[in-house]
Amino acid sequence: MAASIFDRCGGFASVHRVVSAFYDKVLDSDRLADHFVDVSMPDLIDHQAKFVAQVMGGPVLFSDDHLRTVHAHLGINQAEFREAAALLREAFEDFDIDPADIARIMQEIGNREALIVTRR
Amino acid sequence: MSEIDLLKHSLQSLNCGIALADPETWQIHFENAKFFRWFPPLMDSDECLERRLQTLDADRAKRWLRDVRPFIWETDVRDGARTVNLSVELRPERLDDRDYLLIQCHNVSKLRQTEYMLESYSRMVEKNTRALEREKERAEKLLLNVMPRCVYEEMKDFGTATPQRFDEASVLMLDFVDFTEMAISRDPSTLIAELNDIFSAFDRIVDLFDCDRIKTIGDAYIAVSGLPDANADHACNIAKVALRMRRYLERRNASHPTQWKCRIGIATGPIIGSLVGIRNYVYDVFGPAVNLAARLESACAPMQIIVSERTADTIRDDFMITMCGERALKGFGTQTLLALNDEAPAVQARLCSPCLPAARIA
Repeated sequence: MAASIFDRCGGFASVHRVVSAFYDKVLDSDRLADHFVDVSMPDLIDHQAKFVAQVMGGPVLFSDDHLRTVHAHLGINQAEFREAAALLREAFEDFDIDPADIARIMQEIGNREALIVTRR
Repeated sequence: MSEIDLLKHSLQSLNCGIALADPETWQIHFENAKFFRWFPPLMDSDECLERRLQTLDADRAKRWLRDVRPFIWETDVRDGARTVNLSVELRPERLDDRDYLLIQCHNVSKLRQTEYMLESYSRMVEKNTRALEREKERAEKLLLNVMPRCVYEEMKDFGTATPQRFDEASVLMLDFVDFTEMAISRDPSTLIAELNDIFSAFDRIVDLFDCDRIKTIGDAYIAVSGLPDANADHACNIAKVALRMRRYLERRNASHPTQWKCRIGIATGPIIGSLVGIRNYVYDVFGPAVNLAARLESACAPMQIIVSERTADTIRDDFMITMCGERALKGFGTQTLLALNDEAPAVQARLCSPCLPAARIA
C-alpha cells in the first residue's frame, strides 16, 4: 500500500510544525487575527493539526458534520477562508513539502470550504 | 556607533525580554523593547517591577532571591493579537561592583504547544489502542465461538492449526423431531428466536460440564467432551449434559405452546478435531464416534437419549441405562440401543437426598 502524504511528510510532528507556523502567519494577518483573540492557541493548533493530518491521509477522522458544527458560530467568510488557505499553502512551502502533495492537500481543504464558510 | 550603543541596540532588538532592577527597591533601571511590550507599565513612568509583573508571587520570589537562588515562573501575556506563554527568571547579578536584579523572559509558547500536542496525541493513541483492543477482543470472542482456545492460539501463533487425534472422547448429537414441518408451518422469525433461546440454554449447560459445542447445523446441535483438553470424565459429563438438555426442554414445553422434542445420540471413541477451510474455516470433529452418535440419534424416539455400548460401559456405574433393542445402523452393523434415562439414584443421593440403590441395565 502506498504511503500517505501524512506518512511521507513525517507524521504528526511535521504536521504540527507546519500548522504552528501557519498560525504565526494567521496572527500576523490583519484580516484573520481578530478571529483568534482570546482563543487557546495550543488547543486550536492541536485541532487544526489533526484536521490537516486527516486531509493528508493521517489516522484522524473529523466528519463533515463535526466540521460544520464547530465552524457554524465562527462567522468565517469566503475571503477569510481563502486567505487562511493561502497562508497554509505558504507554511507547507516553507517546510519544503512536495508541491504535488501541497496541491492535493489544498484541494482536499478547498473541498471542505462549504463546511467552514458560514458568512457570505 | 560606540560599543555601548551597539550593545544597547542589540539588547533592544533581542527576541527575549531583559530588564535590570534594583534588588532592594525593585525599581527598573533598564528594560529592552520586548520586556516593555510584554510587561507594559500600568501608569506612565511606572518603574516598579512588582507592579509590572502582575502575576508574580513577589513574597515567594523575594525569599528565593534572599537565598541567592534564581526564581522562575511562567505567565501568559498579550503580545498584539497573540497570547504568549513566558518563562520569566529573576536572578541576583553583580555587575561593576553593584548588585542588580536581572529579569529574563523567554517565549515558551511553541514548547507549550508541543507539550500540548504530545499530551493530546498520547490520549488519541491511547483511545485508538483501547478501540483496537476492544476490536481484538471482539474478533477473539467470535473466533472462540468456532474453535477451541488452544486451536485459536495455535492459529494466532503459526497461522495454521494441525489436526489432532483424541483417543478417548465423547460426542453428542441432538436434533429436533419434525423441525422441518415446524419451520414450514410457523412464522420463521419466531421459530428461529425460540431455537436461539434453546441453543443458548444448551450452550450454558455445555459450559457447566466442561464440554464444548462444536457447531449447530439448522436444528442439529453437536457437542463434545474430552477434547481439546483430555478429560477422564468425558462420557459422564456428556451424559449429564444430555440429561439436562432434555430436562430443560421438558420444563420449557410445560409452559410454552410450541413443543420441542429432541433426539440425542451419544458415542465414545477416538475423535479427530481439526480446522476445516482456509478463509471460511470452522473447527470440526471427525471419526467413527461422530458418525455413530449421528446414527444413534436418528434411531431415537422423541425425547430419547441413546448412548453407544462403549459410552454405556464407561458410565454404567453412575447412570440408569435401559436396553431397548437392537438396530442395524448404516456403517456399524447391528448395534444394541441403550437408552440413558437418568443419573443413578446413588449419584442423585450424593447431590440431593438419601435414596435407594438403583437398578442398572435392565
